Amino acid sequence: MKMALLIARKEFTEMLRDGRFRGAGAIVFTLLAGALLLGWQSHREVSAQHRSAQEATRAQWLKQGKKNPHSAAHYGVYAFKPQVPLTLVDPGTDPYTGVAVWLEAHKQNEFKYRPAQDATAVQRFGELTGATVLQLLVPLLVILLTFNAFSGERELGTLRQLYSLGVAGSELASGKALGVAAALGVWLAPAAILGSVAIVAASGQSEVVASGPRVAWMALSYLLYFGAFTGISLAVSAWAPSSRAALMILLGFWMGNGLVAPRVASDLAKSWRPSPSAFAFGQQMQTALAKGSDGHDPGARAKALEAELLRKYKVDRVELLPVNLLGVRLQDSENHGNEVFDQSYAALWENFAEQNRVHQVVAWAAPGLAMRSISMGFAGTDFAQHTHFAKAAEDYRRMIQRTMNDELTYRATSTGGPYLAGEELWNRVAPFTYTAPAAGWVAERQAPSLGVVGLWFVAGVVTAGWSARRMRVV
Amino acid sequence: MLIASGLSKSYAGKVALHPLDLRIDPGEIFCLLGANGAGKTTTINLFLNFIAPSAGSATIGGLDVTREPLASKRLLAYIPEQVMLYKNLTGVENLEYFTSLAGGTHTAGELAGFLDEAGLARADAGKRVGEYSKGMRQKVGIAIAIAKGARALLLDEPTSGLDPKASNEFSALLQKLSGSGAAILMATHDLFRAKETGTRVGIMKHGHLMATYATSELGRSDLERIYLEHMHD
Repeated sequence: MKMALLIARKEFTEMLRDGRFRGAGAIVFTLLAGALLLGWQSHREVSAQHRSAQEATRAQWLKQGKKNPHSAAHYGVYAFKPQVPLTLVDPGTDPYTGVAVWLEAHKQNEFKYRPAQDATAVQRFGELTGATVLQLLVPLLVILLTFNAFSGERELGTLRQLYSLGVAGSELASGKALGVAAALGVWLAPAAILGSVAIVAASGQSEVVASGPRVAWMALSYLLYFGAFTGISLAVSAWAPSSRAALMILLGFWMGNGLVAPRVASDLAKSWRPSPSAFAFGQQMQTALAKGSDGHDPGARAKALEAELLRKYKVDRVELLPVNLLGVRLQDSENHGNEVFDQSYAALWENFAEQNRVHQVVAWAAPGLAMRSISMGFAGTDFAQHTHFAKAAEDYRRMIQRTMNDELTYRATSTGGPYLAGEELWNRVAPFTYTAPAAGWVAERQAPSLGVVGLWFVAGVVTAGWSARRMRVV
Repeated sequence: MLIASGLSKSYAGKVALHPLDLRIDPGEIFCLLGANGAGKTTTINLFLNFIAPSAGSATIGGLDVTREPLASKRLLAYIPEQVMLYKNLTGVENLEYFTSLAGGTHTAGELAGFLDEAGLARADAGKRVGEYSKGMRQKVGIAIAIAKGARALLLDEPTSGLDPKASNEFSALLQKLSGSGAAILMATHDLFRAKETGTRVGIMKHGHLMATYATSELGRSDLERIYLEHMHD
């Protein structure tokens, strides 16, 4: 170990004195710091907008005045997805899936406020986020620091000197890996401190505490990912015939991992499990919904429901029913709609889950895909957490509908004119609250991706050690 | 100190070194002469355990280099044709790094002393090696050997490309190390240097050690004549 530390210290000193390292490191640091600051600014603005909009929508709900409960159900409310502080590192799918949903009667609406919809294709491609820098540029920096770690020593002739002193290949590999880690730390540690300050500044104390395990998981995963790249780079440098060959191989891997694999995985997933277009999905739901009743028109289903109620309460006229027929019909319509929504969205989300499994399979060959998934997961911006929020919002919508319909069903039985409810009813609907799942919940769902990154790390370390031990000196 | 017993090396049926028996005692400077491809560097690589022997053994201080590679390497220092150092480190930093890896712990004063002893000017010791000439790098190589207290030195054409003055200084350093009891094996093309520096010379051809001579028994022009005679097929 002493020898490895000596080698690490030398590597670190040399890198610090190397203008190329200083330049490349400064670029990566600047981009990472810039991305984190932009992420922090965006997070702060969006969170403030959400808080303000959530308060406004609540106030509108409470102050909507006297009206029929079903009109209130149509009036609706917005639900906003609270942002986990780590969103500033990785906005993930949020710009594509949206962060707010309009909750109203009869409909499980699609999400709104999808910044990606407003962005040009170029903007989408070139968006700079902390995750982009960490997943693409830091591995590139690792490659640039390590591609000639062994091949360069061999070409320079220093490898013979080292081996003549009795330095073992595995010690050399360990020392070089530690040296690279220390050199990366020079740039990444300040960025990590900056990111931590941004997270603390962007969140309340409770959010910071709650985010602790997510931060730890994400940081550990990124360290393993960088470790894997270091190991692979050292291994390639050890067995490649020249530094140039090592650089070509590693750049090829970097491109395949970071640029080609995501596209390939996406295309494979789409061709294996095509997802319906938004229009087709909407049409499909409308067709299924039409088989029921919307609660307003007296269709066959409504007539059957009326007959059933008359039978149940043993009366022969609607006026004699102890419940309001419209309220019952509206809830029946909601129940039917809920079944359709559950089935449709379950099928859609299962389709996305199948597509995600394709990404998981491709990730065994390209760990960047796994790292992307882990990063989004712990940032709270992956699709699993989108659906977690969507379900919570939909449950809230259904609770509102049930409350409004129950009000009509059981309290609007004896009024001659239209039934009007007021603030007492609106207050009975509690404000929407949502708690993002705990880090353990995320880790469980990210287990395959964590496994991939962990395995690549182990494989990188083992391969680097193995290649260094078997490296030719002459 | 340095002993080769039936040491040979073949690559895919082609013999690079025929069975070699050689013994170099402490205080001896044995110069291996021969054309390119004669087997000089192969012999040195075998002593360094950079390549595995096809047969026979190489020992340093009684330690078989293949069975006890780390222990045997602690006894030796190696100076190639070009002592390659890390250009972003200074001479003294390079010396500290290599001697530390060899297990030595030296103060800054001691390190400066080793470089002094090797003939490197104090002002140059603090400069980055990127600015060094070949002669200056060779001196750092010698300083490594001195700092390590190496009992055996393996040198592969160390004076090749050095100007006469630097070459002369280098030879003087070798003699000093030899005088302190080191056994030295030097592969070289420089007949003059071999005659002036070496205690014995060996002439290699096509992987064979053709003959060995004590330099004290050779006249100034004898070595060139003998060498050329051996080189004729």
